[in-house]
Amino acid sequence: MISNTSHYLNRFKASLKIDHSIRDDVADELHTHLEEKTQDLVEKGLSREEAYKVAVQSLGSPELIAQQVYDTHAQGTWKEAFFSALPHFLVALLFTSYYWQNVLALSVILMLTVSIAIYGWHQGKPVWLFPWLGYYLMPVVVTGILLLNLPQGWGWIAALVYIPLALYALVHIMRQTARRDWLYASLMLAPMPVIFSWFLSLGAGNEFLTSNIWMARLQTKAPWIVVSFIALAGATVAFIRLKPRRYKIVSLLIPPLVILLGVSWASRGSIDPWGWVILCFSLLAFAVPVWMQARAQT
Amino acid sequence: MNYGRELLKGNTDSLLLCLISREPTYGYQIVKELEKRSNGYFQFKEGTLYPALHRLEREGLIQARWQILPNGQQRRYYYITEKGQQVLASRLATWQDFSTAVKAVMQAETI
Repeated sequence: MISNTSHYLNRFKASLKIDHSIRDDVADELHTHLEEKTQDLVEKGLSREEAYKVAVQSLGSPELIAQQVYDTHAQGTWKEAFFSALPHFLVALLFTSYYWQNVLALSVILMLTVSIAIYGWHQGKPVWLFPWLGYYLMPVVVTGILLLNLPQGWGWIAALVYIPLALYALVHIMRQTARRDWLYASLMLAPMPVIFSWFLSLGAGNEFLTSNIWMARLQTKAPWIVVSFIALAGATVAFIRLKPRRYKIVSLLIPPLVILLGVSWASRGSIDPWGWVILCFSLLAFAVPVWMQARAQT
Repeated sequence: MNYGRELLKGNTDSLLLCLISREPTYGYQIVKELEKRSNGYFQFKEGTLYPALHRLEREGLIQARWQILPNGQQRRYYYITEKGQQVLASRLATWQDFSTAVKAVMQAETI
């Protein structure tokens, strides 16, 4: 009977993509309910096996309960939506006020992002954590790309040591996030194609390290960068507030794809082949979780 | 759709708030109380109770706390909040007015 209960609860858990602490609470409640009802029926004269069958029938389909619990929790609060969109607003603010040129402002925002991401990770991974986590991972990825541009020889040595470690960390965080919900992995990675498309449109290869041209380009493109991150913030708010999963997917996919395609098209001459590889990789990393979600549903 | 089931669906929150307001209680006890007090009138899939309880909790009308029993078993007890009491009082008043009006109309119809 224990294995039957586990089977019932596993079916329930597998169908419910929400905060694990809430999911486990409901699963524990269902477990207690099944035990108590079975015990009552045994006391009324049923065999343990019959009693368990009746208890399960009275409880109903675990998938239906999971769907109803999901409907209850699928719509995040305005507070959750605000905290989820906040890192995108902070990046927009950096470019609105030209704070990106100020090392102190950059350091404060970086420290804030790292602290909030670590705090949220250890607080049961609430939904607002994932966009912060995306920015937390960004320096890890960018450092890897910059290392490839070090003077000849050194780049590959640094890459051979750094990139496997960085990839290990990325895959670990992605797996943990996807275990909770595939869509959260995409929510986390949404800034990646946007940042890379702007980053790569500013110049190629050694230009980043050897000239100030990209700084001048960044200055002229700053208003559009602000618009991009405000659009990303809007998409995040929509993702948190919308209930049906298909609407969440649409709200999540459209802004990064439009921004990436728009920026890539506008600066197609200045992106080198490696840049396109990085863009395709970031797009894949962002879109694959959504595709996995669609596959899991069918 | 069954009319009685629709009526129950529309009043689930009030029934749950009413039971929880009497004493802190947990899922299975709520099912038993509903069955006992309604003389078995309310029939529903018991699992659907938990999404309803979580909805009320999310709206701030009830609060939940895990309690460990002497035999080691855990139960999630639900308590009504101040906001829940206010909502319940308002719904009870509305229900009284509504049922009085329905009775008045229906009785006039049956005479």
